[in-house]
Amino acid sequence: MTADRSGPLSQFMTLAVAWMLVGASCLYAQQANPTEYEVKAAYLYNFGKFVEWPAKVTATSDIFSLCVLGEDPFGAAFDATISGESINGKKVVVKRITKPLDAVSCRILFISSSEEGRLQEILATLDSISVLTVSDISQFTRRGGMIRFVKDANRVRFEVNLTTAEHAGLTLSSQLLKVAISVKRSSQPGD
Amino acid sequence: MSASCFQNRPSREIDFDRLYQSSIFRIAATITLALLLSLTVSGQMTRAQVTQNDQNPPDNLKQLSLEQLGQIEVTTASKVPVKASRTPAAIYVITQEDIRRSGATNIAEALRLAPGVEVARVDSNTWSIGVRGFESTLSRSVLVLIDGRSVYTPLFAGVYWQVQDTLLEDIERIEVIRGPGGTIWGANAVNGVINIITKRAQETHGTLVSTGGGNIDQGFVNFRYGAGNSKGLDYRVYGKVFTRGPEFHPDHQQFDDWRMGQTGFRTDWDPHNHDRLTLQGDIYSGDAGQRVGITNYSPPSMTDVQQNAELSGGNLLGRWERELGSGSNMQLQTYYDRTNRKQPNFDESRDTFDIDFIHQLTLPGRQDFLWGLGARLSSGNASTVVPTVVFTPNHYTEKLYNAFIQDEIPIVGDQLSLTVGSKFLHNNYSGFEIEPTARLLWTPSSRQTVWGAVTRAVRTPSRIEEDLQITALLAANPPTFLRVIGNRKFSSESLIGYEAGYRSLVGPKFHVDFAFFYNNYDNLLSVEPGAPFSESTPPPPHTVIPFLFRNGLLGHTTGFEIAPDWTPTRTWRLRGSYSYLHIDLQKSGGSLDTSDSTQGSSPHHQVAIQSSLDLPKKLEFDQTLRYVSALPAQLVGAYTTADVRFSWHVARSLDLSVVGQNLFQPHHAEFGGDPGSLVGIERSAYIKLTWQSWQR
Repeated sequence: MTADRSGPLSQFMTLAVAWMLVGASCLYAQQANPTEYEVKAAYLYNFGKFVEWPAKVTATSDIFSLCVLGEDPFGAAFDATISGESINGKKVVVKRITKPLDAVSCRILFISSSEEGRLQEILATLDSISVLTVSDISQFTRRGGMIRFVKDANRVRFEVNLTTAEHAGLTLSSQLLKVAISVKRSSQPGD
Repeated sequence: MSASCFQNRPSREIDFDRLYQSSIFRIAATITLALLLSLTVSGQMTRAQVTQNDQNPPDNLKQLSLEQLGQIEVTTASKVPVKASRTPAAIYVITQEDIRRSGATNIAEALRLAPGVEVARVDSNTWSIGVRGFESTLSRSVLVLIDGRSVYTPLFAGVYWQVQDTLLEDIERIEVIRGPGGTIWGANAVNGVINIITKRAQETHGTLVSTGGGNIDQGFVNFRYGAGNSKGLDYRVYGKVFTRGPEFHPDHQQFDDWRMGQTGFRTDWDPHNHDRLTLQGDIYSGDAGQRVGITNYSPPSMTDVQQNAELSGGNLLGRWERELGSGSNMQLQTYYDRTNRKQPNFDESRDTFDIDFIHQLTLPGRQDFLWGLGARLSSGNASTVVPTVVFTPNHYTEKLYNAFIQDEIPIVGDQLSLTVGSKFLHNNYSGFEIEPTARLLWTPSSRQTVWGAVTRAVRTPSRIEEDLQITALLAANPPTFLRVIGNRKFSSESLIGYEAGYRSLVGPKFHVDFAFFYNNYDNLLSVEPGAPFSESTPPPPHTVIPFLFRNGLLGHTTGFEIAPDWTPTRTWRLRGSYSYLHIDLQKSGGSLDTSDSTQGSSPHHQVAIQSSLDLPKKLEFDQTLRYVSALPAQLVGAYTTADVRFSWHVARSLDLSVVGQNLFQPHHAEFGGDPGSLVGIERSAYIKLTWQSWQR
């Protein structure tokens, strides 16, 4: 129909350039909104300040490991957040792990959605071990996890299962619990 | 800036006189101009503020308190589909965010986002969709699933896109697999699989109401309410209605208006940690205007009828998923599906029962093993409305049984794995079929994936090839008719597909996906002339030139798709795809096929570019540009057109968006199909208001 005179492909390229100029020329503006996982990375770092681990854990290592199990949704955001930081005098490091057993030495474990299929196995491995488990996986706090991120109208909030955390020997500060959108005190841990 | 936005317009393409004759476009243009002006001002203001106080958000974020973090609004920039990046198949995932930002008003339109998929709008209510060729209104040889329910109709071996709908806001993602998807998918996944997955009820709490309208999408209302209790029981209910006007008809026969209503629910229950139960269902009803040529034996033998197709149906699906520990899980799913279709020339109602079982377990050596069983009974009653469209017998029940096994074997650590498997199926037409596959996945680094696959797949025969007799007028005097006659010996069409792909995460901001294929087809449908004969019943006496369905075509398709995805800044995402396709089909020995239009009905070249921009003041600006090369068999020329969307997040729960579609020309044809002149798909625009309340 319109494919004539100058050849459809060159015509297309002209249009493509013109069209994209509309977009590019509007690019002056840089928006300050961070991405979802930048905020989640900041949360994970912050949790470290509001959770108390048993002395046997804090005494054994000079580093504070933030671990990601499974496919990493954070990308560079995580490393950017924690670079050069320390919590209670321990250097914070990010570890990306694939096996649940590797999580035993982590202080905080973020379980990626890619691991949903073997969540029971992961949580069973960590039963009674002092690792703060955090995830986006639905029903995470009901299924034996400790902190679940939830999206609430483009804001990232979190819910807590306090019983599971206490079972693992962790003490969550009241400041953290106050900010949580819900705190569960039920559900049989590790069951 | 706004001035330059308009000076760069492709002036030769757009007929502005015509554009401004239509008042809706005057209004739309005014709104657009106003929006652009406000963007310029606000954009520059915010830039000044931003540079003052915030260069590196991650740095500042970690200084915030937990309370402050909870108040930050985040951009839901779609992340790299990580899971998909490690699949040894040509997979593309369309996310909810992609659908929302495309401005698509139905599932078929959303599929335009995927590379290697040909989507053409025939008229207001009909699409022609193909994957890597074989584009047709019934999308033969493509398996389409909605939450695990096959919507493939065995009557015509295809999909009625008109009635495949749900609340678009409820779709979590659409996985599009080009090529024979592998063993775990059902029968007829020959050229591709389109897997539509809706959100779990936990993810849709609260109320959502959206409404709007425009010149073609005249009016629509969508509603959803979801809630849950602390015992793990969550549910949602939804409803939607829409009315869509006709597209452009050179002969002013505006037959293709369309109205539908649909309602449904989904309940997800996690009674305790190991189990998940899902129950969901939908019912729908509507009218889709059609123009159909109807042939009668007695004069006047040929009449064009413009009438609505009356469409209705419903389904109910239950699924039980259980984690069995140590990486093992199982799933049992069953559904019932009813469809009714009443057209001017035929009428069918169909009941389908299906049950499927899948068990996944980890074998020694970290092998991921999967096996499954399934059965489907599909009972259709195609009553005769006109004497020239007859299914014999009227009533028939298809029985399909299948089993599959698949094993993913790690060869070298996490780097190299081999997946082997096969599907076995039995159907009443062609008996036993076997569909094996072998797939190799190599991930030399976390940034690169190389894969290759060889797969056999079949499309089993359907009633249209076996039982249909359809007659059309050739000449009135002496009365002579063409008659296509089904063939009870029709075999399955088969494919051996050779595929390879490469994905690279060039940097955190850029990734690209290449896929190549060579598909070798055999036993493709052909229509072969037979010896003419005379017939005296039904009267008057007439001559019939018969045509028979045979498996007389074979050949191959070759092609590739390139899909780069670039996020130059945190607020701008730019994606593109180029798809090349070459189809080469021949008649096998002795075939006199007269039908084949496959080669000229799918485009050689397709290009798409999408730009998604987040602007200050909670504005979003999205553009899509697409080029489709000519379809000679459909008499459709090459076209380039564009869609644009503006959205404003007015308040915490309110969004306003303006969408313009097919903007580059007043109308353009995309595919043939209706009797009479080609239908032009019109330039269109609509406004949409979305109100959403969140609760947990």
